[in-house]
Amino acid sequence: MASATETGETDQVREIGHEEYDPVGTAILITIYFLILVLLWVFMYFVEFLGNGPTVVGAVLTVVGLA
Amino acid sequence: MRNAYVDQFPAEAKVIKAAFWSSFLALAIGGSLGLLQALHRTDVLRIMEAPDYYTVLTAHGVLLAITFTIFFLVGIFTWGVTTSLDRGLVDLRFTWGWYAMMVVGTVLVGVSILGGVVDAIPMNADVLFTFYAPLQPHPAFYVGLVLFVVGTWLAGADWFRTWLAWRSDNPDERIPLPTFMALTTTLFWYLCTLGVALSILLLLLPWSLGIVDSVNPLLTRTLFWYFGHAVVYFWLMPAYMLWYVMLPKLSGGKLFSDPLARVVFVLFLLLSTPTGIHHQYLDPGIAEGYKFIAMTNTMFLLLPSLLTAFTVVASMEHGARQRGGTGYLGWLKALPWRDPVFTGMALAGLMFAAAGFSGMINAGMNINYLVHNTWWIVGHFHLTVGTAVALTFMAAAYWFIPQVTGKELWNRSLGLVQVLVWFVGMTFMSNAMHRSGLFGVPRRTAEPQYENFAFEPAAGSMGEINAQVALGATLLTVSLALFLLNMVMTSLGGSSDEIPDNTYAETLSGPEDAPVVLDNLKLWTAIATVLVIFAYTLPLASIIDAGGLFGPGIDGFQLAIEAGPAFVLESVREVIA
Ligand code: HEM
Ligand SMILES: [Cu+2]
Repeated sequence: MASATETGETDQVREIGHEEYDPVGTAILITIYFLILVLLWVFMYFVEFLGNGPTVVGAVLTVVGLA
Repeated sequence: MRNAYVDQFPAEAKVIKAAFWSSFLALAIGGSLGLLQALHRTDVLRIMEAPDYYTVLTAHGVLLAITFTIFFLVGIFTWGVTTSLDRGLVDLRFTWGWYAMMVVGTVLVGVSILGGVVDAIPMNADVLFTFYAPLQPHPAFYVGLVLFVVGTWLAGADWFRTWLAWRSDNPDERIPLPTFMALTTTLFWYLCTLGVALSILLLLLPWSLGIVDSVNPLLTRTLFWYFGHAVVYFWLMPAYMLWYVMLPKLSGGKLFSDPLARVVFVLFLLLSTPTGIHHQYLDPGIAEGYKFIAMTNTMFLLLPSLLTAFTVVASMEHGARQRGGTGYLGWLKALPWRDPVFTGMALAGLMFAAAGFSGMINAGMNINYLVHNTWWIVGHFHLTVGTAVALTFMAAAYWFIPQVTGKELWNRSLGLVQVLVWFVGMTFMSNAMHRSGLFGVPRRTAEPQYENFAFEPAAGSMGEINAQVALGATLLTVSLALFLLNMVMTSLGGSSDEIPDNTYAETLSGPEDAPVVLDNLKLWTAIATVLVIFAYTLPLASIIDAGGLFGPGIDGFQLAIEAGPAFVLESVREVIA
């Protein structure tokens, strides 16, 4: 099969199987990303809403297209 | 012995090479026009008349967002299907047929746009890539678009029949992952392009030919966005595919999970299309309830993107640790940062993460009101299609061009410089665009400098922001030139024995761990269709009910022909009267 890969590239120093692999670094990075998103989201409130006043989304009638 | 793609599939390699070069040509022209626009808008250099700006902008949008991306991705999917099924396409004449159809379509569209600036061509299509009525192009523009799209449909059919032929030889096997990705993407592409094809063939083309004398602009616009959101996933899925099947291998590891990858592609098949109305939050003729449904579907789409972030980064970490990387984050140093293919794709992914934030802003109905039609949006999609997709494709080309030509990459270090310069240039340009959107700088405006009015940035100054845009655009153009130079020089070089084998990543958790139902393409297509019917039947019915199928006497408007001073005077008089 063509999918046989050459991960055995020269610079591989060890083989890590499915069971022993624990992507803790990935978990850390994703958590950092999530925190950035939350911070930016809070920041957005100051940038957009405090200066501009709230944007009104209509009541029931406009939601169903009657008004 | 060398075992590159061109050795395994010499005939298919020729088609892919042709598709790649068509794509690069569009990139070269479209990218240069981008520089022209950036310098014009910021008033750094104005070498064209303001009305010509819109011709240029149409060419930039169409050539980059449609031509560059789609020619490249048909090449990628053809590679993915043939490589993973380990068999050639069924009939190469058919394959060249769809490629030729896409070329003819592109030429028609290109020439009609060019007519906007070249007097000798009696056409124009200054309609921007969204071609909203009543802006009206020459019929050749619509015909070209349809031919191009039908070409992609046939390409999809080509992948399907190749898969079907394989399946009759391998009835009990799981669909190999790259083929699975190509097929699910093709399915939602069929679903979403149907809307725009009908809109063009039944409404817009007859209107431009004078067969009917009006269109309903809200209807054609809604049908455009019915396709217009899904097309972003048509661009993005091949980039995702490369992140899933190439990045792990380049990092020295394996794909973390084949089942998760399948789930992600199924979710995109389901949710790509019933979200289009999120581009129309400000359209007055659509009730808020429908917009709310579109928003909800959109928020669900965050799920497959976050799953992708996790799976792809976890696969890279696996590679880094196999290469000796250690520590909580120290493994990052063990990644192959000198490899332009890896680094380009990784930086593209990073920029996509940043775009995730501005995308969440766009997706929220009420917050969208604040950035709608501003330069924020342009900043956003230069991170997504303009970098996540474009930079991934350029980086991938450093691996693919040697695969399909058998020639070694001319200069790897230059490739590395190129992807870095793109990243830096886009950081400048996109950041400044986002910021200017926050204080209301409009998009699609040749000269956003007004008398008796000045934009007031909360931080920094307009001059500083313009400088960042001009600098960023210049860096991007330099990067583009370096890329093209590398491609041309590689193609001029001689055949080499040093080309790596044509392979893709193995998996840590393979298809045997994925529920069989994931491969049930009929089921997912059926559910996707039902979701589309739910999301679109009522809005379309109410739009037709309110404005009629052909609208209330809407005449076409041709910018290049009519926008002389006399026309402006006339419209002013009309408004006054
Ligand atoms: C050399 C790199 C590039 C530069 C300097 C550049 C510059 C620009 C500028 C200044 C605009 C805004 C025009 C306006 O709002 O008035 C624009 C619009 C746009 N760009 Fe780019 N761009 C580049 C690359 C790309 C790439 C790679 C893509 C997609 C693959 C892309 C897709 C678009 C699209 C779709 C539009 C919107 C067109 C419209 O509003 O109809 N650009 N670009
Ligand atoms: Cu969208």
